[in-house]
Amino acid sequence: MTRYALEGLRVLDFSWVGVGPVATKYLADNGADVIRIESAVRPDTLRMAPPWKDGSPGVNRSQFFASYNTSKRSLALDLSRPKAREIALKLVSWAEVVVESFTPRVLRQYGLDYDSLRKLKPELVMLSTCLQGQSGPRAEFPGFGQLMSGLSGFYYISGYPEGSPCPPYGAYTDFVSTRFVAIALLSALAYRRRTGCGQYVDLAQYEASLQNLAPALVDYFATGRVLKAQANRSQRYAPHEAYRCADESGHERWVALAVADDAQWRALMRVLGGADYEPRFATMRGRLEAFDELDHFIGGLVRGRHAEELVEQLQANGVPAYRVQSCTDLHGDPNLAAFGFWHWLDHKEMGSSPYEGFQHRLSRTPGELRRPAPLLGEHTDEILGGMLGFAPDEIEELRRTQVLL
Amino acid sequence: MSDAPLGHIRVLDLSDDKGALCGKIFADLGADVIKVEPLEGSPTRRIPPFLDDSPGLDSSLYFIAYEAGKRSATLNLERADARELLRALAVKADFLIESFQPGYMDTLGLGFEHLAALNQRLVYVSITPFGDRGPGRNYRAADIVVWAAGGVMYLMGEPERAPLQMSLPQAGLLAGAEAAVAALLAYHARLADDLGQHVVIDMQACVVWMLMNEQAMPVFHGAHLERSGRRFNFGFISRRLLFRCADGYVSALVIGGPNGAPSTRALVQWMAEKGFASDWMLVMDWVSWVPGFFMQATERDLKEVAELEDAIERFFMTMNKQEIYAEAIKRRILIAPVYNVAEIAEDEQLRARDFFAWVANDVLDRTLVLPGPFARFSLTPLKAPRRPPMLGEHNMQVYGDLLRLSPVEISRLRACGAI
Repeated sequence: MTRYALEGLRVLDFSWVGVGPVATKYLADNGADVIRIESAVRPDTLRMAPPWKDGSPGVNRSQFFASYNTSKRSLALDLSRPKAREIALKLVSWAEVVVESFTPRVLRQYGLDYDSLRKLKPELVMLSTCLQGQSGPRAEFPGFGQLMSGLSGFYYISGYPEGSPCPPYGAYTDFVSTRFVAIALLSALAYRRRTGCGQYVDLAQYEASLQNLAPALVDYFATGRVLKAQANRSQRYAPHEAYRCADESGHERWVALAVADDAQWRALMRVLGGADYEPRFATMRGRLEAFDELDHFIGGLVRGRHAEELVEQLQANGVPAYRVQSCTDLHGDPNLAAFGFWHWLDHKEMGSSPYEGFQHRLSRTPGELRRPAPLLGEHTDEILGGMLGFAPDEIEELRRTQVLL
Repeated sequence: MSDAPLGHIRVLDLSDDKGALCGKIFADLGADVIKVEPLEGSPTRRIPPFLDDSPGLDSSLYFIAYEAGKRSATLNLERADARELLRALAVKADFLIESFQPGYMDTLGLGFEHLAALNQRLVYVSITPFGDRGPGRNYRAADIVVWAAGGVMYLMGEPERAPLQMSLPQAGLLAGAEAAVAALLAYHARLADDLGQHVVIDMQACVVWMLMNEQAMPVFHGAHLERSGRRFNFGFISRRLLFRCADGYVSALVIGGPNGAPSTRALVQWMAEKGFASDWMLVMDWVSWVPGFFMQATERDLKEVAELEDAIERFFMTMNKQEIYAEAIKRRILIAPVYNVAEIAEDEQLRARDFFAWVANDVLDRTLVLPGPFARFSLTPLKAPRRPPMLGEHNMQVYGDLLRLSPVEISRLRACGAI
């Protein structure tokens, strides 16, 4: 029996920032040996971004980087040095999978693109992910998920009917794309395990993200209707909204709830003590048509209620509801805790730090956050010396000439 | 040889809108995906809005998008003979995906343990809103409720108004994609030792993962972030991300540091050419300009941010988003337009890559357009989308060809309401 799902898989990871590293984290936490190629010459953007341990910056002090790079090894290598290519090619010979997330010209310029690598290793599985894909007029478009979330329509549908878009926190599409990267890697690898054939995968984060907009695209092409931001209004549930409850220690408290049918509506009215409602609210059609009045009515009944007690009562009566939770709340959430979501790992420089854990559980071969994120270049010596057979004086020379930086 | 990546895999998809995307992804990868539906049809057939706003079992836009390429077999799981059929199907399946209330399948004798006893290679995927072990394991869910529970909603919307969901619910899609990742991990374990396992998806955790690690803010910086409307939190500094232009909005990352400075420098240069940059902007060392990244901003930082952002918006108001986007690409500035679906449909990059797929739908008697492949595989391209199945369309294939039941037997099952 295998211990981890990907026990023994060898992955060479040139990717950086969010999409690539979060995808290769799935591999690393499931037993793959993932070697990240990094360089202090141009550190991963996330190493330079908060949250910082103790609020104090440093390339090895960002939990943003740490959370996305557990269980990996780090090799410091400045790819712009000619000697670095030789080392990278030795690692390609070692690897079964190569992942990268630069704009297309970068690896071509270093002679490390798929066409170069396949000559060395035809059975290689290689995946490139950039914002808009390896071909087409926008292939070289640089950027981050905050741009892609605009381009791929998600900001447009976030906000109120009047006024400007209200973007979600974070680089939304990065976290949509990354699961598709993992899926593509695992299925290309499955194909290779079955047939021995490697291949190249071009994953445009634009195209992956649009999978999550599909119904609106179908609608537009068929009828010309353009989906717009409509706050929390739904065509499926009524009510369907976040309502403000009693403040707690000076902070606002909100509860989100949704009513899918008339039985849930009657349960909602029982809990809220709102028996005296307008007759048109009794049917889903009536509630959907009077959405704003309904909202006002429910808002009045909820205001002043204790959020957690209200959620418990609603759920006990079969009405979908939950608190609108802050990140402080998430750390105390009993359901995330019961799933074993949070992990505290002891990082070499940051000490005990909170890591997001798994969104799934494998019953027989569970993954594990096997190690905290590596320091920049933490494993350079063991990879060059132990794995690739460089002598100590060769490593010293490579370090002196700033190849291993 | 070049078939589909998962051309040899069979999937039973019993899920609703918490898992439909998972089965769709496997259909894209070439698997034979059988949507096992109750006699009245999968709940996904009833999700509004509908094509032309005309409700019907085949016209839900959600259903058209996320049940594409699957086969349909009906099965009334309340009946013992139907449950036997599901067991027989499970023997011939690689993956089973379900998203009922946790424990429901066990009560029917169709839980993981039951089916694994018949097929130890089965990968059994259960998608749950709040996990299967906590006090909320039996909670009712709707997409907005999980969105709230997972923390994304808290940070979306104007401070004085209700927190927001996106106007196309996302939590179930995130869980569906996660289910595909996890099922494939379990499949790789099976490649090693020929044993399946039970995979449980926690949809709330899938939403937490969208938070870009904001989780560590309260731990390391003493407080969580608050929603800031149209503005965008860079740490505790609220910045403008969306700028108004002549015909809408663009998203622009105006940041410093080694990876942001070249773009900001180029933007300021462009503004200077048109008379929109102040002198200080031209001499600023943008590499060391990182207000907010270090979690505190001086008064000078705030003044610079406000002046810069105001100047940028005045500049952008002189152009439309296509003009801004075209020039930004030339100058390698971090700007993208805020597109709606109409603009995405016309986008030249997607056209150049021939992204959209025209899908003949003989049931609705028209051709519909779906997003194309989520990835381009050089040797084994993903399968082009096909229309979703009619209710029970493949009963004969599934129960006849696959389970080898006789036509008489199938008629009997139909007559008694099992299928």
